[in-house]
Amino acid sequence: MMNDRLRAVSGQVIAVAVALVMGAIIILMVGESPVRVFMTLLRGTFGDQAKIAGTLLQTTPILICGVAACIGLRGGMFNVGIEGQLFLGGFAAAWVGFAFPLPAGIHTLAGLALAVVAGAAWVAIPAYFRARYNTNEVVSTILSNYVAVLLTSYFTIFLFKRPGGWSETPPILPTAYLPELFDFSRLNWGLVIGLVLAIGTALVFRYTSWGYGVTMVGSAPKFAEYGGVNVKRQGFVVLLLSGAVGGLAGGVETLGVHHRFMEGFAPGFGFDGLIAALLANGSPVATIFTALFFGALRNGSLLLEVDTGASREIITVIQALIILSVSAQVLVRRRGDSQAGERRWKF
Amino acid sequence: MVSNAPGSSTRHNVSTGHNLAGPNLAGMAVALTGITKRFGAFVANDGIDLAVRRGEIHAIIGENGAGKTTLMNILFGLLQPDEGSIRLNDEETDVADPAVAIKAGLGMVHQHFKLVPSLSVADNVFLGMEIRRHGLIDHAAQIARTRELSERFGLRVDPTERVGLLSVGIEQRIEILKVLVRGARTIILDEPTAVLTPQESRELFQTLRSFVAEGMTVIFISHHLEEVMEVSDTVTVLRNGKRVATRPTAELTKDELVRMMVGREVSFDRRPREPQRGEVVLEVEELWARDDRRLPALRDVNFTVRSGEVVGIAGVAGNGQTELAEVLSGLRPASHGVARLKGRNLAAFSPAEIRAAGLAHVPGDRMARGVDRNASIAANMLMGRQHRAPWSRGGVLNWNVIGQNASKLIKDFDIRAQGSSDAVKRLSGGNIQKVVLAREFTNGADFLLIDQPTRGVDIGAQEAIHDEIMRQRAAGRAILLISVQLDELAALADRILVMFNGRIMGEVAGDDADEDRIGMMMAGVAAPEFAAETA
Repeated sequence: MMNDRLRAVSGQVIAVAVALVMGAIIILMVGESPVRVFMTLLRGTFGDQAKIAGTLLQTTPILICGVAACIGLRGGMFNVGIEGQLFLGGFAAAWVGFAFPLPAGIHTLAGLALAVVAGAAWVAIPAYFRARYNTNEVVSTILSNYVAVLLTSYFTIFLFKRPGGWSETPPILPTAYLPELFDFSRLNWGLVIGLVLAIGTALVFRYTSWGYGVTMVGSAPKFAEYGGVNVKRQGFVVLLLSGAVGGLAGGVETLGVHHRFMEGFAPGFGFDGLIAALLANGSPVATIFTALFFGALRNGSLLLEVDTGASREIITVIQALIILSVSAQVLVRRRGDSQAGERRWKF
Repeated sequence: MVSNAPGSSTRHNVSTGHNLAGPNLAGMAVALTGITKRFGAFVANDGIDLAVRRGEIHAIIGENGAGKTTLMNILFGLLQPDEGSIRLNDEETDVADPAVAIKAGLGMVHQHFKLVPSLSVADNVFLGMEIRRHGLIDHAAQIARTRELSERFGLRVDPTERVGLLSVGIEQRIEILKVLVRGARTIILDEPTAVLTPQESRELFQTLRSFVAEGMTVIFISHHLEEVMEVSDTVTVLRNGKRVATRPTAELTKDELVRMMVGREVSFDRRPREPQRGEVVLEVEELWARDDRRLPALRDVNFTVRSGEVVGIAGVAGNGQTELAEVLSGLRPASHGVARLKGRNLAAFSPAEIRAAGLAHVPGDRMARGVDRNASIAANMLMGRQHRAPWSRGGVLNWNVIGQNASKLIKDFDIRAQGSSDAVKRLSGGNIQKVVLAREFTNGADFLLIDQPTRGVDIGAQEAIHDEIMRQRAAGRAILLISVQLDELAALADRILVMFNGRIMGEVAGDDADEDRIGMMMAGVAAPEFAAETA
């Protein structure tokens, strides 16, 4: 068992290393020194106290989205709509924040609570169709992203626009802010929420009867069905929870960082979270580290264009390479697993 | 007695090989010699010889997993044999890939079709070899050619219709047309009737006869006796990857065929037992159910199982046994009739509620249904009891108790593993089955539904599993034992019910398990009819 885990981890590490090497080759091709680029990245990431806090600030939404993805993956559901749930959750929290004056503390909690509800409600549509008609949740959740992003844009521009030029809502009341952790950074309690959520999720899956059933639905659905687990219902519940956490990620981002909702406020965090979860093999605790890796890449890239001749888009390239090598690695492993050669042809 | 018929068994085990006498393979459309194919430790084909005369319909029959499809995939170049040689039209051929086979005049119609739903029938037929005129596809010519072929061989299709709108039966005709336009003279069909209604099957047989009338050759894979008897000229029977016999169909009777398919290797003696007559635990009345194709799989099934009794279900695989097990465990709805467990109608219950009402189930599809291969033994043994004390309290699992419980079961059931945290996939087939038995036999259920308990399990473990089933009988459990192995049923069952085509053909007492009678019923001859014949 330990051996399996070791092999899985080493596989991921090799995949990331391969991606970094390929990234280095591309950096060479654009005429920069890979060493300089990676050193700049490292400096931009962990160079000083403020940089570390910046990295953690970028890590927070990726981590929460990553936990959302892990919850889905555990139950065999591929929630690719976290980006959309994050946008709706972000908007919902901001709306509570600027429209309903409430006492401090309660105001924050109310905002986060509505973010959770919004995220869950948004995924409820694909989840229902999955449970009822067995539609592919990958397709329906991907598509729901576009609707979510445009819907929140519509809310922002036509219903709640702040006077002035920006496409953003009015600022939220300070009573709804997520408190900051340090005075030198916008890093806030969102990180703590993310860490607690990741560890809590891992514990729930490991130590509750419900988590056991869900895990079996994800890894051996026919076995779970045979053992009396309601496979359809658990799939629905898991997607709903995944969407709820995706919504929470948006709430944390608006209440903790931006203090308003604006168009395109969190580009790609949902997708980065999904990749972090996949890189972590669906383990919430391992997602803490993979999310930190992606947060570091994002934060480090800010310095990249200042100090080197490389574009910050090189980060996107490296991320894409990681996705490729991780999926290649999964395919290679699967092929080793298939022992029924006949079955490959009988599909 | 099933368990003792050595004299007659040799008759069937000797291959008569009327067309394999000596090395003379001339005039054969296809000749395979000594084909062996292994997947890991599993031998799918074991030294199979097969010769198919030009112009005949040659049926290859055997139970699921007998190696039929593997053999055909080798012939068609989809798989490479580990040993053996292939002659196509009297020429030694290395069938490295399907292109070689097609060039030699072979065509294969698979079980699952590969058609483009948005294209027309004719476009699908000519996909990849379009008829061109001035560099463009000549649709009119494709349609005309498709229509000509379809009329010539009775493959009724409208060449202009879009495939997405058509039924499976018609899709199959399109696949056959595809094979024909590619110039096939020898056509392999892998279980072609599995997706067809009886009416469509009859039409297909007409088509196959029109092929041989034109001098073509048909190889036809099936596990249905009736159609093999109806349509084929020659039958080759495979069992456990070996060829049992090749005979002209006219010389065979259905029950002979059954016996060759299911075999009669005798490995078990009848277990001694105390007669017991307990309460009725399971009652099945007028039960009907449909299979995945929505065709009737169970037809008016009636029986009871009492506590302290082992009721066996015999039959060639695929005659409704799987569906019966699924209905009884709540995994498939009944279309009519009732099954009562201790007086309570199962139709209203979910699988979890049926388990709570007193069902334990050893599934036939052990790897997919019975375990999560990647999980530990302890996690596998938890299934079904994760909501009960002492395994959990207030929804929180106690992994200490779960692990200790698993370790105890590992010892009690003599499972060869290093410990309860071992992944199930590291165990041998027999030990995986013991994990399933240990879990199911210890959850206090009164009714045990046991499906193919010893399939793919080594002899030693088989004996141990049989011991355990007899212990459960002695403990007063009601046991329904589904098996395709007659000797297993004869060793364990108090009564044997024989299933054929979704019906129970009759009942035989376990003490008096007459192989011939069971064989007749497995072949679809009803018990009274048989009795009248012998009287």
